[in-house]
Amino acid sequence: MVSLARKNLLHDRLRFVITVAGVAFAVTLVLVQVGLFMGLLDKATVTIQNARADIWVTSKQTPNVDFAHTFPETTVLRVRGVPGVERADNLIVAFMNIQLPSGAEEGCLVYALHDFPAWSLPWAVEEGDVRDLRRGFSIFMDRSAERRFGPFAVGEHREILGRRFRIIGSTRGAASFTTAPIVFMDYRRAQELNQTLQQRTSYVLVKTAPGADPEAVAAEIRRIAPFNDVYTRSEWAARSRKYWVVSTGLGMNMGVTVFLGILVGIVVVAQTLYTSAVEHVKEFGTVKAIGGSNRDIYRILGEQALIAAVAGFVVGGLLSMAMRPAMARLHLSVMVSPQFAAAVFVGTVLMCLGAAMVSFRRVAGIDPALVFRA
Amino acid sequence: MSERVLAVADVTKTFEEGSQRVEVLRGISLAVAGGEVVALEGPSGSGKTTLLSIMGCILTPSSGSVEVAGRRVDGRPHALREVRRRSIGFVFQQYNLFPALTALENVEYALNVKGLEGERARAEAARALDRVGLADRLHFLPRDLSGGQKQRVAIARALAGSPPVILADEPTANLDSAVGAQVLELFRALAVDDGRGVVVVTHDPKVRAVADRVIGIRDGLLAA
Repeated sequence: MVSLARKNLLHDRLRFVITVAGVAFAVTLVLVQVGLFMGLLDKATVTIQNARADIWVTSKQTPNVDFAHTFPETTVLRVRGVPGVERADNLIVAFMNIQLPSGAEEGCLVYALHDFPAWSLPWAVEEGDVRDLRRGFSIFMDRSAERRFGPFAVGEHREILGRRFRIIGSTRGAASFTTAPIVFMDYRRAQELNQTLQQRTSYVLVKTAPGADPEAVAAEIRRIAPFNDVYTRSEWAARSRKYWVVSTGLGMNMGVTVFLGILVGIVVVAQTLYTSAVEHVKEFGTVKAIGGSNRDIYRILGEQALIAAVAGFVVGGLLSMAMRPAMARLHLSVMVSPQFAAAVFVGTVLMCLGAAMVSFRRVAGIDPALVFRA
Repeated sequence: MSERVLAVADVTKTFEEGSQRVEVLRGISLAVAGGEVVALEGPSGSGKTTLLSIMGCILTPSSGSVEVAGRRVDGRPHALREVRRRSIGFVFQQYNLFPALTALENVEYALNVKGLEGERARAEAARALDRVGLADRLHFLPRDLSGGQKQRVAIARALAGSPPVILADEPTANLDSAVGAQVLELFRALAVDDGRGVVVVTHDPKVRAVADRVIGIRDGLLAA
């Protein structure tokens, strides 16, 4: 079948380029903005996702994994007695000051455990052996710290809360949503550093026994630890993400950007398709005169919208991918899952078809008798 | 001549212009037989294009009846569309070709609209263009064709689907004298060879050489 829609689109190349550019702009804006947002949110839960804990026991009303409050460390003993619990350990997460070689002080986020390998923390060790953290005042520091703290090397020393620590290893990918670099140290060392942490912990990490239902185990822990909150891994990750989305206005910000992107896309596509429809009124009149119906003309406009959507999505997708290395150099990750890309594609098609409908009313009223007008 | 393929009986058409009613056609009856070329002549505003639109089922008459290919035309939009699709081919003064489509695609698209698709449509479009002498211009865009060639493409498009009636509105108005004469000869051949009824609205005096009948129209009435 001859595609009048495609031929007309390609016949007027400048208008086609403008239409595709409008769609591509909207697609790029949405993909990059939401991708950045997802990348940021990933940082908010990266330790939750990578730690081998099925259940997290927190103090009451802890808003997210970075902003921990403390509770008695003996809670872990009661948790260990719950049926279905294979292992439970205390985890301290606390902001502490670190002194840099320049003399400046910066904040870092300390993760402190007795047995790091048992919980797969840290999950990407670049250099060193985490088991050595038990020996003396030593730390692992994440490479992302170099951006704020400057370069560091294993074997160097840093002061944390006035105590000298030796850097015995480095990690990758352990970043906090707050941008405070993550430092790993032994649980007791952390308690020694800070009086307020003595005999206190921030979390109890729980690994359930094979075959145990994490939901059921979490419910039982809630019963025996009524002064704590208890979350499964997915619940805790969702709560941490929700905190940043809602409390910081990031969600609203992203929503507004996505809305504006879609609005720009709709306006550009609607405007160009409408102008095209007006300029082709006589052709549409001819279609009607030779026996075509409004549906035939809607199909032409719909097909044009679809072509613009597919071409715009491809260009926008490629642009977004091209921007990823540049974003990575700024330590920003653009996370676009296949599901999200598919959703954006469907949204783009709907956006373009919606924009095409603006022209439907204009062409619906075309009088085929206009073909006899000179 | 064979049996009639088009007939209008006692047709009137009135338009509302603000508070005024303008009676454009005032009781016209006319029949066209297969194989016949009928020329409609008249000054501007006499009602010939309105009559052509009614015969072509683009407009409905205020009163009277229209019969195409032996069937009385129902005035409902989808029925009018169906008659246009199956039984009528149009040729316009301005050609009204689709500028983005080649000659072949222009004809093929008309066949697609009429329900014929794929290779069969393409082959029939090629045959129609061959019939009008454009077998060597199949893949030319309208902008690359002369006025006469464009009008031949338009005629080939009108032939798409083999309608029994061809209606042409000032088909030679934009053509030079020699090319206009060739186009009129082509209409004559289409009528005689295929048994179609051809109605040509024109001011061109050369139409007398090819028309079986020349009918004048003045102030909405057929002139004697």
